[in-house]
Parts: sequence; C-alpha cells; structure tokens
Amino acid sequence: MQVSSIELDSVSKRFGSVEVISELSLTIHSGEFIAFLGPSGCGKSTLLRMIAGLETVDGGEIRIGGERVDNLPPGARGVAMVFQHYALYPHMTVADNLAFGLRNIGTPKDEIARRIEEAARILEIGHLLARKPGQLSGGQRQRVAIGRALVKDPKAYLFDEPLSNLDAALRVRTRVELARLHQQTRATTIFVTHDQVEAMTLASRIVVMNARKVEQVGSPMEIYGRPATEFVARFVGSPAMNFLPVQIRDRGGLATAALGDGSIVETDVPLAGLPSGGELRVGVRAEAIHVREDGSVPGRVEVIERLGDRTHLHVRLMDGSTLIAEDKGFSRIQPGDTVHLAFEGATAHLFDAAGLAYHARQ
Amino acid sequence: MAASEHIVGRGIGNKLILFTVILVAVFWMLPIAWTLLLSFKPNSELMISTASAFQPPYTLKNYTDIFQSSGVFRWLWNSAVVSVGVTAGILILSSLAGYGFARAEFKGRDVIFILVLLGLAVPEQAVIIARHQIFSDLKMHNTYPAIILPGLSSAFGVFLMTQYFKAIPKDIDEAAMLDNASRFKIFWKVLLPLTIPAQATLGIFSFLGAWNDYLWPLISATKPEMFTITVGMASTQTNFAQSEGLGFLMAQAIFAGLPVFIVYLFFQKYIVRAVAGAAIN
Amino acid sequence: MTDVTLSSARPVAAKRPGGASIGPRWTNALFVAPYMVFYVLLLVYPLFKGIWMSLLQSDMFDDTSKFSGLANYYRLFNDKVFIGTVWNTVLFVVMTVPVFVVIGLLLALALNRSDRTAAALRAIFFGTSVLSVTIVTIIWKMMYMPGNGAIASVMRYFGLDPIAFTTTASLALPAIAITTIWWIIGLPMMLFLAALQQIPGELYEAAALDNASRARSFWSITLPSIRRTMLVVVIYEIVAQFQLFGQAQLLTQGGPNNASRPIVQFIYEQGFRSWNLGYAAAASEILFVIMAVAALAQFFASRKRVEE
Repeated sequence: MQVSSIELDSVSKRFGSVEVISELSLTIHSGEFIAFLGPSGCGKSTLLRMIAGLETVDGGEIRIGGERVDNLPPGARGVAMVFQHYALYPHMTVADNLAFGLRNIGTPKDEIARRIEEAARILEIGHLLARKPGQLSGGQRQRVAIGRALVKDPKAYLFDEPLSNLDAALRVRTRVELARLHQQTRATTIFVTHDQVEAMTLASRIVVMNARKVEQVGSPMEIYGRPATEFVARFVGSPAMNFLPVQIRDRGGLATAALGDGSIVETDVPLAGLPSGGELRVGVRAEAIHVREDGSVPGRVEVIERLGDRTHLHVRLMDGSTLIAEDKGFSRIQPGDTVHLAFEGATAHLFDAAGLAYHARQ
Repeated sequence: MAASEHIVGRGIGNKLILFTVILVAVFWMLPIAWTLLLSFKPNSELMISTASAFQPPYTLKNYTDIFQSSGVFRWLWNSAVVSVGVTAGILILSSLAGYGFARAEFKGRDVIFILVLLGLAVPEQAVIIARHQIFSDLKMHNTYPAIILPGLSSAFGVFLMTQYFKAIPKDIDEAAMLDNASRFKIFWKVLLPLTIPAQATLGIFSFLGAWNDYLWPLISATKPEMFTITVGMASTQTNFAQSEGLGFLMAQAIFAGLPVFIVYLFFQKYIVRAVAGAAIN
Repeated sequence: MTDVTLSSARPVAAKRPGGASIGPRWTNALFVAPYMVFYVLLLVYPLFKGIWMSLLQSDMFDDTSKFSGLANYYRLFNDKVFIGTVWNTVLFVVMTVPVFVVIGLLLALALNRSDRTAAALRAIFFGTSVLSVTIVTIIWKMMYMPGNGAIASVMRYFGLDPIAFTTTASLALPAIAITTIWWIIGLPMMLFLAALQQIPGELYEAAALDNASRARSFWSITLPSIRRTMLVVVIYEIVAQFQLFGQAQLLTQGGPNNASRPIVQFIYEQGFRSWNLGYAAAASEILFVIMAVAALAQFFASRKRVEE
C-alpha cells in the first residue's frame, strides 16, 4: 500500500479571463478522507481534476507524496479516479476494464490476474468479470469503477460525485461501503460532492467551497457546529440555519441579541470580538428553537413538515420575519396555531454584514 | 403520422392515404418492372416491337450473354476495387482526422477545422478541370489511384466523424489517460471501437457514392478496360434506339444494379439512420 | 465487502508510466495530417489552380498557354450556347426543387408510421436512389423511346400519337426532370421523415384534445416543427440539381439543339471533348459562384422568415 499526502501550494486556475481558483493552498494528509463540498460551479471538480492532471494548472504547485506532479501527464501521477458517470470502457468486459491500466504500464499477466481477483473479491463483482458495462446495473457499474481504481493500488483515490447517479437507497448503501472500504484500506481519498450528508458522513475533514474560494476547512462537527461564514452555515445542515437581524446588548461580556419583535436571545458569543458598527444577525438552527409554553418569542405556524422523528414548523414572527423551529415527532400543532418559541442561546452564532461568523468560546 | 395513428376517429382517413401511396408506389416500380420484363425477351423480337413483352417466349439468353461476352465483369471488378479503395481510404483518414479535430488539441486546430468545413461548399465541378490536369501531369490517368484518390479529399467524412467523436463522453478519454494510455492507444483501443456505427454509415455512403460516381471516372478512365461499371454502362447506351440488343442492354442494367441493390437491402437500417442523422444535425 | 487487504506483493510498474497529457501538443496534429495532405493536394490546390487556369488562354498546337486575364469570362458571357446552358440549368432547378419538397414531404407524412407496409413503401421510394445514373437512364430510355418505349406503347393503346420526349425541344428538360425525381425522391422523403419523428407525439394528442382537425394539426404543429429541415432540403436540392449532368448527357445528349444542355455538360464537353481547358475552367468557376449565391440567398431568405 503506497499511501501519499497531497499538497496544493497557492494553486490557480483560469478559464479564459475568469479565475476559477485563485492561490489555493491545502495539505491533504496521508491516509486522510477529505471531502470537497460546495454547490455546482464552485470549483471543487476543477480542483480535483487539476490534481488528477485533467486540467492544466495556471499557477502554484501540486505535490503528491512530496513529488511535484503538476507538469506530469495524468497517468504518471499514480492516482486513480472514479468518475461521476463511471466512464467505463463500454466495449471492454469488466475484467478488461480493470486490466487496461495495468497492461498499459507493463504489469506482468499473473500480477494483473491476481489483482483483478482480489479487487473482485473485495467488491463482490467476481460474477460480473466477463460482462460488458452495458449489461450492468448502476450500482454494479459503480463497483466496477471503484474496482478499476482499486487494482491500480494508487497513491490516492479521487472521487468526482460518484454517488450522484444512484437512486436514494443505493446511494446510502454505497456510502456505507465506501466508508468501510476506507477504514480498511486507509488510502488517501478526495471526495467531491455537493451533498452535505455525503461529506459529513464520509470525510474526516471537509473543504467547503463557494464561488471559487475555500470558505472553511474543518472536521464535520467543526463545520456544523462552528461554521466560519454565513455561506457554510446555510449550506451545511438541513433545514438551513435561521437568520434574524438583531440589536446587541451587553450581558457581562457576552452578547444578548434583541430580535425585531423585542424578544431576546442570550448568546454565549463574547462581546469583545464583535464589530462595533454595522448590522448583525443571529443564526440559530431549527433544532435549537423549541416550542414551549414559557417561550418568549410568539409566532403563527404557517406550514408544518412532518418527518416522523421530528416536525419542522415554519413560523411567522410578529415583526413579519419567518423561521423554522423543531418540534417532537408527534407534534399536535396545526397550521394557523400560535406558538411560543424558546431559543437555545448557547448554540447561537452571530454574523456580521460580510457574512463572517462569531461563535461562543469553546 | 406515427404520432396520431392511434388517435380515435382518424382510421378511415389514414386508410385512404395509405391506399393512395400504395398506388403511387406501384407506378413508381413500373419502369424497373418494365426493364426487368424486357431483359427476358429475345433481342430479335424487341427489334420489331416491345408490344410482345407480355407474351412468351421468354429467355435467359440475355443474362448468359453477359457471362460470355461483354466487359461487364471487368467493369464490376474495377468498380469493386475503386469503391473498396475509396471506402477504406475515407474511413481511415476520416477516423484519424475526426479524433484529431474532436479530441487532440494542437495550435491552430480550430482554424484548420473551419477551413476543412469550408471545403464542404466546394463542388466537384469547380475543381475537376484542375484535377484532371494534375493527374495528366503525373501520367496517372487510367489507373486505379487516379480514380480513387480525389474521393479521399472529401470533407464530409471528416465532418461526420468529428461530430461523432465529439458526442462520446470525454470522461472515457480521461479515464484512459489516468490508465496511462498514450494518445494513439486512446484513439485505437478506447474510442475507435465506439465509433463502429458511424463507421458503418460512412462506409456504406462512401461505397455507394464511389460505386455510382460518374463524372470523375468518365474523365479519368478513358480506356474501356479501366471503366467502372457506371461509366461502362454509359458507353453501352450510345445509339440506344438503333441498338440491336435491347434485351441484352436491359439485362446488363439489371445485372449492374444488383450489387448496390443487395448492399441497400442488407444495410438499409444504417442508410436510413445516416440520412436521419444528417437531417437532425 | 469484507476482509480488505490489497497487498502489493510485487512492484507495480515495470516501466515508467507516461500516458497522454491534456493541452495542446504538436504531435496531436499527426492525427489530422494524413487527411490534410489529400485535402490540400486534391481540393485546395485544384481550386486555386482552376481559378488560375480560367485566366489562361491555352494553345492546342504547341501545348502552351498564356495569361489572358478575364478573356475567357468575357467570351463566356457572349457565348449563346453557354448562356443557354445556364438557363437550362436554372430552369431544371426551378422544375425539380419544389417537386422534391412537396412530394418528399407528402410521402414522408403518409409513410410516417411504424407498420411493415409503411416500411416496405419507404424502401421502394428510397430504393431507386442507390442506382447509378447510367442504370437510371437505361431504364428511362425504355420509357421514353418514341417507337418501342413504354409510354409510347400506352399512348398508342389509347389511340394517341406517341410523343418523342427526348427529342422534342420543349419536352427534353421536363423528361430529364421526371427521371431525376423518380431517381432521388427518396432522400428528401427520408430527411422529412427524420424531422417528423422528432416532433413529440404529445403535441398531436394535445391538439386532438383541443379539437384540432388533421389539417389544422399539419399547419399549426407539423409545418412549424420542420422548418429547419425544409431549409436543409431546399438548399441541398438546389446545390445538387445545379450539378445536373449524367441524366442530360445520357438521355438527350443535351439536345435537341442544346435545349437540355446543362452547365456541367458544357464544362465537360469544352474541357474534355474540345480541350479548351481555360474556357471550361472559367465556366466551372461561374457554376461555383451561381451555386454559392443560390444557396446563400435561400439561406438568408429562409432565416429571416424563421426569425419572424
């Protein structure tokens, strides 16, 4: 097993006059499972393809295992990629698909056979080896695509939205299998996705990207619990975090936020770091807003989404703003009801006009 | 109309239309049927009148005469050599160039491609005098290469193959790159096998085009032993009305038409698909 | 998926890996180079050589030629035979192209069905297109022959005087036109069929629910949907019919009295019967220009209409 780190050193990329990635630096540790997360067009796939050698690099360096690779052809970089649409060779059998790359570097026949056998055993595709991709189901093609990466024993695995073409049930199953595979191989893995659940469940670290720049790099819980920016806060977590404009008051060095209707949320955010002027908003996730008889914020329920284990309430507050609160699974609340909401101030964040986040001390 | 053939209340109208078209089709086939019929009549009888066409005697002599005399076999052989040569040449050149224009980047490629597309607008007649001169200077007329080579300059195949290569998902190439395949290997082992339907289409079109080509072989091949069947059949129909071998001529026409007709019957699917593709693009 | 131990017992690469790279490489030009050789030598070069030749006056006796400017063109515009061939060709285009469009579309409409009968009928109408021009003219000579021809026989049967189609000045070109339509009606039919099959069936079903008659559906759905194909067919047929040669040369020899001689036959005869190469080259350039202008004019006219 040849596991390698990947270093990006102020990497830049332009398409024509548009800079799609600018001076991006990132170190992916050996054996790490990292996810590039962001909406489509954020540059995450471009970044992955630059590492693979499928896009030219306009500035900076890429090193794999300490060796500079940004001028090497894709094949010489020692990485394997699983494509969004699998990109299996349609006219070759599964076995030939797996063998093609090994043959191209002159691997001995018996070694190729041994590796195919081993990959087929791991991925349970032994019975498919003589078939062509056209005769396989989506899930089977996915396994073959992973197998094609596996046999190469690459320095790193690159996944480009590999689950987006599977149906919901299969996607969840494959996700678990990928997690298991990584736990066992401990191979350096980069996983590009726009699905926050995939990123949260699979990755040990997540790189959240938006509009061609990195918003935050951190563990799943850091990203979820202490989002660096409003974008991250809105993009990660479902339903999206609630944002309400507030006035700040001092509460012994901590910020107390006053909502538009006059009710207050006692946050644990230190007052010291906050910007003095400008508008601030409080950010609270639905799960931190409860329906309680003694709740201080009144509002009218407009829409109810029942998810079984919990219930999301779309509530309009007295000042006209809306938010999403959470109630238990068997909520008796009906649309049109007036509810009283209580905010968990300890998990609330503050955001300035530029979208920068301020959190409670850890 | 396929779209409305199942709509209730249109059955009678549809039947009427179909009946009319069948009638037209019968008329459409009459000339060939007439030719076929006459090809089985003795020449001596036809010299007097074709009125006896519907009465015996009928004979196979016109066809057996083809096997004994006439240059038809030599011409068929020439046509086969020329058509296979043109088809093979076009397939090889167009596949390579199609891959190049669709996938293999080099400086100035897009400008060159536009120039090639402009070539589609140049009719054969605009270059034929100069081409004749070129092959005269090379003393190559009445050879297979002279009849074959001009056909290979057609931009149609290059255009078709470029479009086809462009339609193949690019991630297949990229997967092959990550699998350490060289440029030529990607072309030869990975993408070319995926273009077989386009190869079939282009191949059939090139073959039929070369087989039926008239103007250039007429100009280049002046010796009867180098005639293609198309040119040869033209040479037999001078003094037609006075011909003493009408039945023989009809038999030759039927016989000469058979190869392409067989090709048509076998590859009808590809021909129709090719025409359809041309319409939609 | 259990027991994952992908051990690499032996070194992977026997040789240094080095596959294709992205980005421009001059070696990539090698893919297009073979075709470009033929393209340049047998299309581009002859095109310009042809233009050059059209500016030369060739001397048949000592096989030399000298530059004569536009003399060949000047002569052509004063050559009654050439002007006649231009008119014949234009007339032929005017006769055939509308028929190709109308009959081609009618056949396509009638045969746009998925049953076997329609498939067989399509095969009949398209089948004649694969025959060579020389076979087609043999077949149609047997139709047109004044004495023994099929049409003459039928006319005599009805007590009419047979007409000599190919040797009557006013009928020679129409006879060639009929033969040509019989020969290659299949192509426009197929093009229209392909276009019709692109129209979503739901449109017709929606129209039927909206009480639209068959004619109404045709005008409001079918015709607007196939405008682009219509344009393709018209341009293609204009360009193709301008190149009329074999049918005329073989059916009527251009006669009687040049009544059915097309431009290409003029070029052929001047170039390869009389060996006036410069003169023939000049005529071929004029044909090239006429075809280009006709196609362009039609293209722009239709584009304007489509945009409105």
